[in-house]
Order: sequence, then structure tokens, then C-alpha cells
Amino acid sequence: MEGWPDPPFLRGEGPEFIEQINTTNDVVARLEEAGWDFEAVPEIFARQSAACDVAAKEIVTVFDGERQTRWGRLIIKGAGARFNLMSHESPLARYVGARPSVFALVNSQVGSKGLHDFKEFAEMDPPQEVEFYNPSVFYQARDVVFWNALNGFQLFPSGFEDVRRVLASGNVIRNLLFRPGAPTKSAWEIAEGEERRPIFMEGFSGVQFPTGVVEWMPKPLYGGMSEQALHIETLLTTDETDLAHPYLDLVAEGRLRIDEQTYFMRRFMGISQKDALRGPGVPPEGARR
Amino acid sequence: MRGSVPAALSGFLIVPTNRRSKDRSRFARWHDSQTDLIRLDLTPGRPGRVRTRVLPVDPAGVDLPRPAAVAASDRRLTETANGGYATQPNHGVNVAGNTLWATNLLFGAPLEVDLAAWKPRRVLRYLELSEAAPRVSGTSHFAWSLDHRFAYFHQSLLERERDGSPVRAADLSLVELDVATGAERVWRLRPPPDDPAMETANFHSGFFFEEGGCRYVGLLRTGALLESLEPHSAPLDHAVLPAPASTIWIVQLDPQANDLQAELLPGVKELDGLALSHLDVDASGGDGFVLYANFKEADVAEETHGANVYGEVAEAVAEHYSGMVVEALNYGLVVRYERRGGRTSVRTFARPYDPGRTSLGHSWLPINIQLDSARRRLFCSFSGFRPRLLPEHIARAYPARVVEPPTAGFVPPALIRFDAETLELDSNGSGRGHVAYAEPMAMTVAGDGDSDYVCTFSPEVGLRVYDADDLDRLVFRAESPRLMSWGDTHFRPEPAHISFVPA
Repeated sequence: MEGWPDPPFLRGEGPEFIEQINTTNDVVARLEEAGWDFEAVPEIFARQSAACDVAAKEIVTVFDGERQTRWGRLIIKGAGARFNLMSHESPLARYVGARPSVFALVNSQVGSKGLHDFKEFAEMDPPQEVEFYNPSVFYQARDVVFWNALNGFQLFPSGFEDVRRVLASGNVIRNLLFRPGAPTKSAWEIAEGEERRPIFMEGFSGVQFPTGVVEWMPKPLYGGMSEQALHIETLLTTDETDLAHPYLDLVAEGRLRIDEQTYFMRRFMGISQKDALRGPGVPPEGARR
Repeated sequence: MRGSVPAALSGFLIVPTNRRSKDRSRFARWHDSQTDLIRLDLTPGRPGRVRTRVLPVDPAGVDLPRPAAVAASDRRLTETANGGYATQPNHGVNVAGNTLWATNLLFGAPLEVDLAAWKPRRVLRYLELSEAAPRVSGTSHFAWSLDHRFAYFHQSLLERERDGSPVRAADLSLVELDVATGAERVWRLRPPPDDPAMETANFHSGFFFEEGGCRYVGLLRTGALLESLEPHSAPLDHAVLPAPASTIWIVQLDPQANDLQAELLPGVKELDGLALSHLDVDASGGDGFVLYANFKEADVAEETHGANVYGEVAEAVAEHYSGMVVEALNYGLVVRYERRGGRTSVRTFARPYDPGRTSLGHSWLPINIQLDSARRRLFCSFSGFRPRLLPEHIARAYPARVVEPPTAGFVPPALIRFDAETLELDSNGSGRGHVAYAEPMAMTVAGDGDSDYVCTFSPEVGLRVYDADDLDRLVFRAESPRLMSWGDTHFRPEPAHISFVPA
């Protein structure tokens, strides 16, 4: 996640880049040697509030009994100029890019306005469209540290421990980069006492993976910007199902057609929670020390 | 299902779960929530197989093969007492042979279940209910004799609150169950003279040991203090009566006696911990014991509702649901109490969470505690801390114990391996494989003496099984979206316990 103030873009080229690689390798080695205790490597320890969260999401999940495709429309609230979004998935997953049209296709048949069905959505600023780029995969904890250290990002220990657990359970971390056309003002661009107003961004993504059962997205960690997310989940299956979402309410049921194929449809809607929340005014873990 | 099921794990995993409404504003105590017992059948192989069977429990017990086991008068009381039931075993697992006894946190009698047939048999209640005492309380986690032939648990009536006094236990009893013959006997229990309060005489777990040729049962006097027997009619803030420090009662078993006199185990009350709850014990050798137990440092008689310690109303806290298991007031305590050969020693582990030194673990809200098959390592799970779920009206009752809200951050759940002898972190040779964060709370250690495995489970995350030597080394995992919810209206929150039953 983005730090505060915006980290400089650290990557050089040629000999400078090789030097940065060596320095970053040293950071990773020291952290690993210290048993992943951030106290031993303070330069990787994020001390300020992270500044990026999914504030609303619309997901279309297509499941055919052997494979699941998850299309996402994400409304991201953030403060900064460039961001990354990490999610976990099967090592066999394939990043299939964006498909914005699928949401209109589904919503028109359901008779819904998508996220606009939430009155709270109207209270959010109009989002800037962003594209996710440079999708990459982290296979080991050291990959996560290496990438973040090389790119001038820092980490929170609890979030990093969550990542370690994802990797230990046999999944991988997918990392996506994005940057808005009109970023938040930098820390040095705002007047003293002026608040750094967050911006909203809209991005689309898609991932496909083999599975014998529907896999709902796990609860995300709080990123410092949005304590909960407006959430619409549309499940499309080739066989009829009564499967429910664990937290969202069932709001529609029926059949619809996409890509010349008829699917059974169940649609869920509500507020989804985040994990690792803290009380209002309580700083993130690094700053409390 | 990913990975392979080792031969040592041929058998069942049993998980008591409950259902909660997706409407988070609806108040329901955890104790009272509808039970679904889940059996995970493990078939070894590569990849092996995990199949699940769910047994929805009828809390009135009218679906039992011998419905007379729940007398008509009991059913009437069950119906009239708001939130009452004959059994609601959504918490503890006790197993011998082909029989499971599932239990509640605090209320109701154990339900006996035929494991193979996966059908309930009877409700184990030994006391007569009345209008003044319409409920029973019992030990969630039984004590077992060294040969595992006899199970021991406490059962008592719960009398309604009256004249400003809280709920009281009455007719304290200790039950012995011969699992080989089915024979039962019941003793009346007399409290220790120096721990006589009936308002807090409840016992979450028990253990058995022998000493000097005599047999004893130890009961963890948890000390939950209930202001009222019935659940709230509305989830409003209310005055909370603070629970006292927990103790351990020791009872010498006397087959000739009708009554047994309990005594306090010395040195436990002085630890000044709240909600002494779970244990494992090494009572081998028949001369004393080494007890491992944990204090939750939480008011386990209360539930989440109302404004939190930051003044936020429940509706503003998305992760909140009314009546969930209460958060800790502060970090808890794990204790190793050894009494052998006439000598006693006590070691403790109590630690706040230091984000800069995650390898040290923490002791926030300890839940499961279990020795490995060689009794050399102790595995503990800690639920962590979600500060926004700590209600203000509960915190207010414990000014000297509660953490300072402005400095209280999120503490992630942790699974930690200790050296059972020293109660120090067991980090030998495994790098960071002795502490795992963000694991589900329900945890058990299963093994055959050669290899041990640590199993964790929640409906949301599924089943994960790790090599006990390295908590970063996954052996297999399995998940099913069907376990997460019930119908379209309810979900199954994270359970506390899971137990392995070898085939």
C-alpha cells in the first residue's frame, strides 16, 4: 500500500539499479535472519497510515463446476499518486485482465443499477478510471519484502503476517499497480493544516482458476481508508444451486445469458467487513510504538 | 482439497458450530445460538478425501430416540424460559470410542451422539428443574481418568436472579460416567470454605489425577457472573457486575460418600486472572500432575452489544454482531502448574503484542491449549483483539484491568508452539515455524506418536493441516462454501474448538 508521504520512485537503471538490487537483497536477508521481526529492519516498517482501500466492489463470479472466473469492478479510495493492490489466489490462477462490459450485461438483465443501488455510493466522489498494470506474483514472503523495499514501499507487520499465512497455505499473492491521472496532492503541495483529500478510483480486473467449489473472496485487511465496502456479488453457475454468500443478503435469483450461455444466477448485496480494524483516531501499529 | 491426507489422520474431526442471522442487529447470545455439529471425515491418500456431514441439533431434544429422556415438564420450562433449551451443544467436544458428548459454553446439558451413525442419543441431565431454577450449567470439557474409562463433569442448577442478586448455582454436582458400561454416579459437591460464592461457581473444564493412591478431579472455577438468566430483551448497555479472579477446585473422589468436599488448589487465585477456561494435563505416572491452563482475561458472562469503548454505536461497526463472543479486556495468561512428588511449581506466559517483534507471539484471549502426543510441546491458540468489539459497559466494570482504548490496536490471532517443560517459545530448528498468525481459532493436535499435525478450522477459511514441527509447512487443506452459511439467512461464525477422533 501507498505510504505517506508518497514514496519516491526509487528504481534506477544500469549500475544504479544493480546497486538498488543489492541493497534490497540486504534488507530481505536481514529481515529473514531476524525471524521476520520488523524491529530489526526499521526501514521496511511502515510508521504512517496506509492510504488505499476498496470502498465498493461489484463482483461477477462464473462457476462451471471445474473453473471459476471472477470479474471485479473495484472502487478504490486512496490518497497518493501511485498504488498497489495485493490479493491472494491459487498458484494456478490466471490474470485475465479487465472486462467492464460484463457488469452492464449482468445488471441490465437483473434490472439493477449496480453499485448505484446503494444510496451510500452516491455520497462518494466520482471515481477516476484507472488501469491495473504490471500484474506480478509473489511466491514467497521474501518476494513480498523484496518488491516493496525495491519500490520504496513499507509494510505493516500484521499485514505481512497475514501474507505469510496466505503463502504458507499454498496460495500466492497477486500484485497490481495503478496510478490515477489526477492524483491526490502531495504532502508538500498542500497548505499547513489543510487536509489531504482522498480520491476515488475505478478499476476492473479478472482472474480465473481451477476449483471444484465456489470460492468466495476472503475478508480483506483494513488499509487505512475505508472501514467497510459496499458489495454486490453475482454468482453465475451452469448447474442450479442454492449456495449463499456468508455475509451478504440474497437480493435476486433467476437466469441470465452471457456469451451465448444461459446461467443460473444468485445475486447478493450488502456491506462487507474488513479485518484488522482499529478504533477511530488510533494510529496504525508502527506509529504507536 | 489440496495436498494429501497422511495415514495418521485417518478418522474424524468434530466441530461444534452455530448459526447467526445475517441481520447483525438481531441480538442472540452465543450460548443460545442454534447448534450445527460438523463431522469432517478424513480419508488418507494422495490427494485423499475430506467429506463433511452436518448434524443440526434439536435444542428441545424431541428428536431423540428416547424422547422421554427429556421430560414433558422440562420441555414446558424450556418453552417458557425465554431462550431456554434442554441442550444447545455449540461449544465443547468430548469423545470416547463411538460416542461424542457435545456441550455448551455455559447453559444446557450435554448431548450424547452416536459418532458412526451421526445421530443424537440422549441429553445428560441429572438435576430436576423448577420455576426458580429452570436451567442447568455444566463442564464443557470433561476430565478423564488415566485409562480414559471414566469421564467426570460438573452439573448444577442455575437459579434466577432475584432481589438485586445475580444468578446463582445450586445443587452443585459431580458426575462420573463409565464409558465402558454406561454406569453413572452423581456426588453432591461442597464448595471450598474459602471460595463459597455460588454466583460464580461454574466450571468450564476439568482434569483428573492420582496422588498418594487416591483419585482426584480438578475443576477450573471460571467465575462467569450472570446478571440475569434470560437473554436481554433489548441490546442496551447495562451495569456489569465484575467477575472475580478464577480458582481451581480439587475434589477427592470417594466411592463411599454422597457428598465431596472441594478444596482450593493453592497459588491459583493469587495469579489474579479472569476466566480460567481451557486446559490440558499430563497426569501420567499416577503421582500428581502437570496442568496447562489459560486465563482469558475476559468477562465471559457478557456479550457484545451497545456502544464500544470508542463511543461508536453498534450499527457503525460493520464487523459487529449482537451477542458474539466477548473480546478480552487485556492480554491473558497461560500457566503451567506442576504438582508432583509433593513439590509444586508454577510457570506463566503473559505477553502483549509487539508488532516489531512478532516472533515473540502474544497472549491475547487464549482459547485452545493442547500437548502433542509425546507431551513435549504445547500448542496454544490466541484469538487476538478486535478493539472495536469491546463494549464500553463491560470495560467500565474493570477499570484496573482494561487496556487503554487510545493505545489499543488490532492484535491478530496467533497459534504458538511452546516447550512444555519450560513454557518458553519452542523455536528450535524451525525458524519462524513456532508462531503462525491469522489462523482460525479452532485448533487441535493429532498424531500417532511418530508424527504430529496441527489442524485448524473455520467455516470461512476451511480446514488447514500443518506439520507440528513447522507451522509454515502445510500438509493439506480443504474448503467448502457450503459450511459458511445456512440457508440464505444465516452464517456460521468462527467456532472455538475442533477435536480429532482416530478411526
